Amino acid sequence: MVSRMKKIIKNFISFGLALSLTATLAITSYASEPYVSYNYDAWGDVIESQSGYRVDETITGYEMELTKLADPKSDLFVSEDEPVNLSGASDIFFEENTNEFWIADSGNDRILRTDKNLKLIGCYKGVTDSKTSVDPETGLSTFSNPTGVFVSIDEETSKPIIYIADNKNARVVRAEVESKNSAKCTLEYVKPESELYENASQTFNPSKVLIDSTGILYVVVSSVTTGAVVFDTTGEFTGFYGANRVEITAAVIRQAIWRKFASNDQIASMTRNVPVEYANFDIDSEGFIYTVTEAANASTDAVKKLNPAGNNIWNTATGNEFKFGDLPEYADCDTSNYSSRLTDIVIANDGIINILDYETGRVFQYTQDNDLLFIFGTKNNTSDQKGTFTAPNGIEAVGEKIYVIDGKKNDITTFVETTFGKYVHEAAALYEKGLYEDAIEPWNEVIKRDGGYALAYYGLGKAYLNTGDYDKAMEYFKISVSKGSYDRAYQYDRDDFLRQHFTAIIVILFVLIVAILVIRRLIRKGKIKLPKISKKTAKEGK
Amino acid sequence: MYEFSELGWLKHVIFHPVEGYDDLRWKKKGSMKIALVIVLLLFVAMVVNRQLTGFQFNTAYVKIFNIVPLFVQSIVYFFTWVIANWALCTLFNGEGTIKRICIYSAYALVPYIAGTYLSVFISNFIVRDEAVWMNVIYYVGLGWSVVLMIQAIRIVHQYTFPQTLLSIAFTLVAMLVILFLLVLLISLFQQVYVFIASIYTELTYRFRG
Repeated sequence: MVSRMKKIIKNFISFGLALSLTATLAITSYASEPYVSYNYDAWGDVIESQSGYRVDETITGYEMELTKLADPKSDLFVSEDEPVNLSGASDIFFEENTNEFWIADSGNDRILRTDKNLKLIGCYKGVTDSKTSVDPETGLSTFSNPTGVFVSIDEETSKPIIYIADNKNARVVRAEVESKNSAKCTLEYVKPESELYENASQTFNPSKVLIDSTGILYVVVSSVTTGAVVFDTTGEFTGFYGANRVEITAAVIRQAIWRKFASNDQIASMTRNVPVEYANFDIDSEGFIYTVTEAANASTDAVKKLNPAGNNIWNTATGNEFKFGDLPEYADCDTSNYSSRLTDIVIANDGIINILDYETGRVFQYTQDNDLLFIFGTKNNTSDQKGTFTAPNGIEAVGEKIYVIDGKKNDITTFVETTFGKYVHEAAALYEKGLYEDAIEPWNEVIKRDGGYALAYYGLGKAYLNTGDYDKAMEYFKISVSKGSYDRAYQYDRDDFLRQHFTAIIVILFVLIVAILVIRRLIRKGKIKLPKISKKTAKEGK
Repeated sequence: MYEFSELGWLKHVIFHPVEGYDDLRWKKKGSMKIALVIVLLLFVAMVVNRQLTGFQFNTAYVKIFNIVPLFVQSIVYFFTWVIANWALCTLFNGEGTIKRICIYSAYALVPYIAGTYLSVFISNFIVRDEAVWMNVIYYVGLGWSVVLMIQAIRIVHQYTFPQTLLSIAFTLVAMLVILFLLVLLISLFQQVYVFIASIYTELTYRFRG
C-alpha cells in the first residue's frame, strides 16, 4: 500500500516536472519575432535571413498616458468622458526639429501630440478662428475624422504649424499651435471651385497632406485619380501633381482595340480606364515626393519617386525594373491568395525607403537603388502578439526605430534595429555615398552574421572593383549573382591582362603564324606527311 | 565522282549544301556510328551550353541541375523527328529508309553543334558589349543546320522543294502527337506501377502483421 502511494506521488512529481519543463520550453521558443525574416535572391526565391529589426514594444493609449485627458487634475484635461485609447488612428508623423510625434487619432476626431517616447504632451480637438463645423458649446471648429497630419515649424515664431486632412469636413486646416490644447486656424483649403477640379471629382475628402519646402500643399483625395491636389501658399488650387498611369491589363488592351471600331455612342457607353489613385506619400530631405498605390497587386506605379515636375524619376530603363513589395509566388506564408497593398511609405533621413503593406502587415525596407534590405512585421487577426498588426495604417521612421500605427488594435508598435541591421544600414549608407571601400568593414560584419545576405557580397564586389582588385570583385559579384557588375569587372580584368601581357601575346602570335607558314611550305614540298583522316588516297574509280 | 572516308563524307556534305547529300545518296554512304556520335554530341552541347556559358551570359537557374529536360530536348526530340518523318514520308512517296533519315538528319546537325560549342567557348572571353560575336556564331550555325536539314529531307525522300517544306511541317505536327502519346503512355504505366506497388505493400503488411 505504501509502495503504491509512493509510486503515485512519484508519478505526480515527475509529471509536474515534465509539465513545467515543457512550459518553460514553450516560453523560450516564443522569445523571438512572430515571423520569419526573409529576403529575395537574384532569382526571386525566398532566402531566410537575419532580422534587421526586432520588436521593441507595443504602446497603447494607457502607455501614452492618454488617461490624462480624462483626469481633471491634469493640465491636459479635456473632459471626463474623453476616450483614453486610440481609435482607428490612421497617421503618425514625426517632427524632427522639436522631436515630437503627431498622431491623427481619426476615430476620436482629435490630433495627439507626444514627445519622443510617445508620452502625451498635447491634444487638439479642433481649431479656433474658423467657421466650419463649430461646436456651439466650446466655440471650436472641430475635426471630423482627421486622417492625415503634417507638421512644419514656423521659421519666425518657431511654433509648430499643423496641416490636418480633415476628411469628413472636406477641408485641410492649416493651424498655428498656441498651447497644449489650442491651435489657431490660419488657412482653410477647401474644395477648389474650378472646372479642372470638378472634372476630376465632385467631392473633396482629403486623406493625406504634405508640404514641400516652399510651402506648397499637396493633398491626396481618394476620389481624385489624376494625382495629388496642389494648393499654393495662399490656399489657391493650382492643379494636380504626379498622376499614376493606367495599368495595362488584358481588359485595357481589349478596350483600346474595340475603341478603334466602335461608334461614338458605343464609346460613350464604355467605362473609362482611369489610373488608380495613390494612397499615401512622403517627402524626403531633398524635396522628392514618394508615392505608394494601395490598389491590390498594382504593378504599374506601385511606388514612385517624383521630381518637382511630377515625373517619376525611377521611370527609366532601370527604374521600370524596380519591384516593391512581395513577389507573387512567395508572398504568402499564411494566406492562400496573394495580394499586396502598399499603404504607407516613409523615407528615413539616410534615404532608406520603408513601405508598409496593409495586406500582409510587412514592412519592406529598400535603399534608393531598390535593393531590398529587410522585411519585417506580420499580420495576425487572432491574437495580440507583439509585432503583429491587424490594420497597419501608418509608418514612421525615426533614427534606428520604426513606428507602425495600427488602426484596429489601437496601438503603436516600435521596432528597433538589431546589430545586424545596424551594420547593414551603416554599410548601405556608405555605399550610397560612394564610399565603397569604407563599406568593406561593415559588409564583412554583415557576412559574419548572415552569410546568405547577397547585398553584402555585391557591396564588397563594388568596393574591390573600385580599388582595382578585379579578381576579388568578380568572385563577389558571382556570389551575389550580379551579372552586369561582373561583366564590368571582367572587362577591366581582361583589359588589364591584355595590357600587361601585350608583348608576350604579340610574340606568341608572331611565332604561331611563322610556324604555320613554315609547316605549310614543308607539306607542300612533301617533306612532312600528315596522316590522312579526311580523304582516302584520292580518286580511285573513274 | 568522289571517294572519301566516312568522316570525309561528313565534311563533304556539310561544306557542299547543294550537292553534298546527292553525292552521299548516290554513293550509298553515311555511317550510323557517326550519326549516333553526333546525336550524343548534341546532348553534350546542350549540357555545355547550360553549364559552361560565361557567367555574364548564363541565364540558367543554376541552383538545380536537372539533366532530364536536356536529354529530352536533344536525344528524344531527335529520334522522334526521325520516326515521325519516316512514318509520314513512307506514306507520301518518300524514298528514305529510317536508317538514312537518321544518318542524313544527324549530319545536318553538325553546324549547329559546332556553333553552340564555339559560342559557349567564346562567351567565356567576351563582355556583354561584344555579345554579338557569340550570337552571330550561334545563329550562323543554326541557320546552316536548317538549310542542311531541308536538303537532307529533300534528297533522302527525293522530294521537290515545296514537298519538303510541307513534309517538315507535318513532321513537326507528328512529333507533337508522338510526344503526347508518349507522355500518356508513361503516365499510364506509372499508374500501373503504383497499383502493383500498392498491392505489394499491402501484401507485405499482411505477412508481417
